[in-house]
Amino acid sequence: MSTAPDQAGVLDLLLASLARRKATAQVVDRAEAGRATARWMADAGVARAVVASDQVVEEIGLVDALRREGIDVLMWPTGLGSREALGLEGPLDVCGVTVPALAVAERGTLVLEASGGHGRGIDVTSRHHVALLPADRVVRTLSEALALTYADGRTPPSAVSLVSGPSRSSDIEKISTLGAHGALTEHVVVMS
Amino acid sequence: MSTRRRRADGGVAYLDVQGTLRERTVDALRDRTLRGNLDTAAASWGEGREGMRRDHGLDEMRERAREIRQSNIRNLPALLAEMQANVRDAGGTVVRAADGAEACRYITGLAKARGVKVVAKSKSMATEEIKLNEALDDAGIEVVETDLGEWILQLANEHPSHIIAPAVHLNREQVAALFREEAGTDDVPDDREGLVAHARVRLREKFAAAGIGVSGVNLGVASTGTICVVENEGNARLVTSQPRIHVAVMGMERVVADWDEAAHILQVLPMAAIGQDAANYVNLITGPRREGEADGPEEFHLVIIDGGRGALRGTEFEEALACIRCGACLYSCPMWRSVGGQAYGSPYSGPIGAVITPLLEGPSSPASRDLPFMSSLCGACGEACPVGIPLQDLLVRARARASSPATRKSGIAFRAWSRLWRRPATYRAWMAGWRLMLRARGRNGWVTELPGPGAGWTEVRDMPARWPPRR
Ligand code: SF4
Repeated sequence: MSTAPDQAGVLDLLLASLARRKATAQVVDRAEAGRATARWMADAGVARAVVASDQVVEEIGLVDALRREGIDVLMWPTGLGSREALGLEGPLDVCGVTVPALAVAERGTLVLEASGGHGRGIDVTSRHHVALLPADRVVRTLSEALALTYADGRTPPSAVSLVSGPSRSSDIEKISTLGAHGALTEHVVVMS
Repeated sequence: MSTRRRRADGGVAYLDVQGTLRERTVDALRDRTLRGNLDTAAASWGEGREGMRRDHGLDEMRERAREIRQSNIRNLPALLAEMQANVRDAGGTVVRAADGAEACRYITGLAKARGVKVVAKSKSMATEEIKLNEALDDAGIEVVETDLGEWILQLANEHPSHIIAPAVHLNREQVAALFREEAGTDDVPDDREGLVAHARVRLREKFAAAGIGVSGVNLGVASTGTICVVENEGNARLVTSQPRIHVAVMGMERVVADWDEAAHILQVLPMAAIGQDAANYVNLITGPRREGEADGPEEFHLVIIDGGRGALRGTEFEEALACIRCGACLYSCPMWRSVGGQAYGSPYSGPIGAVITPLLEGPSSPASRDLPFMSSLCGACGEACPVGIPLQDLLVRARARASSPATRKSGIAFRAWSRLWRRPATYRAWMAGWRLMLRARGRNGWVTELPGPGAGWTEVRDMPARWPPRR
């Protein structure tokens, strides 16, 4: 949505913030993104990918790359029953693939918008979460991101999720433990 | 939960709370495990908070946060009207409830009308306040708390001890024991990761079965009719996206004007609450699922609760409405850190609980008499509050307002005393008599037992027999 002049500085800031949030990230060339993402998921032991139906996914040829790695691919909407969508049935190592509308460099936050092709629950119902982020979608502050998301004259999305790192809980002895209800791992593929 | 009794007047204090505030406090102070757990929690919060002040300028963000919330409270009626109109435009239903009973009636009625058997909840103090769980339980509907801490408490049949970290008073072994009992097997791991993973699977079963998801609301954004639900675990997202119906329960004061204000408060909140510069998940919801969207609830209901809040506008307690329920004043309070939240016997504990519980309950409740005195007036709470509520001043006002017979009696005694001490002659006579009495009762230089009202003092401390004391 926006390209700030110091995009490189903002990108470095994002990578540092993501690390602080216990998310992993890699920066790849757009031409390489499909293959690299599929490779990462295969290494993580992913058996099934639940993928947002988004232009970016098509552009990088992700589906073919995933199939070549032997990963089962379901496009959103998946048509799964609620038990299987929640991971109670079917393979355990499911990875939700999202395409954030924006990312906030200062906080390491991904902005996910629900739409026809992008489910509200893709990332939390799955055990792993991979986000495909075009580098020009990174803004510095949360204020900027929300101003763009809820700009005057734009119909606000029915649901927007700000995701900052894998799911965690500090409810037992105040110590942060990963993977409470949402994804246990978060990996961001930044496409330059 | 069926062991709880409904209280006829619908007040906010918990009904199954035993004993007086004093008895609960003494019990809590004797509980060494509790003290250890509270110390650990408060220390870890303090560390996180220091980091936020040092690296993220939390102190500088306070002033703006205060201005935003003050202006929200000033413009509350207009903001609520705008919020309401925008939620309806987005396809949601808005209900304004004057009190908890009305809100509960609406939600249980909805559940019955839609044939819902299981309700999945994410953490919400507002639903604690209106006692929604009891209402649903009475209507024969199963309620499951899905926030890990809240679920642990539900299994223990206890109430939250902290706004943000409800089960902060229990340790790992205590949690493991509860999980074993619930699952009916010893096959539950002992380590934290294992416990969290166990809960994840058990609770997913509930998500799959739930017909209604109930969430709280951290902020309502009037300009677009969006609710913000802040969390770390991901359960609130499941609650707001998986069941067919989503009901959000919001205190009427939790509304901001626009996204500029929301962005600021959404950043201050996790900094003050958990010492992090972002919560893991912030769910921003504008109405139900739209046409063409494959997931999300078909119905969205926003229940806005007054519950005594509206009447506070324009009073000397108005500032309490600015509260964003971050829990910082609890951790900062030496009283709360010593006894935990459950001793307070009300959903809201700590300094903010001591101020608002009497206000929401009315002047004749036991909470109004006792809770304002659960403070040393040290002022740590006011300093910790990210929206600049002068909690210590509000506590003093709440004390002045507490008008039990006990305090009236001591008022008369204090007035008589003040009259005696104001004249040099009577003052000197008093002091001479006092010295004689101390010397007569002293043993080895100390008085260990005083008669009458002095007994309260010597019960816990000794007094030197000579005055002024000699070294
Ligand atoms: S009074 Fe202030 S510190 Fe206490 S919970 Fe409310 S906002 Fe937080």
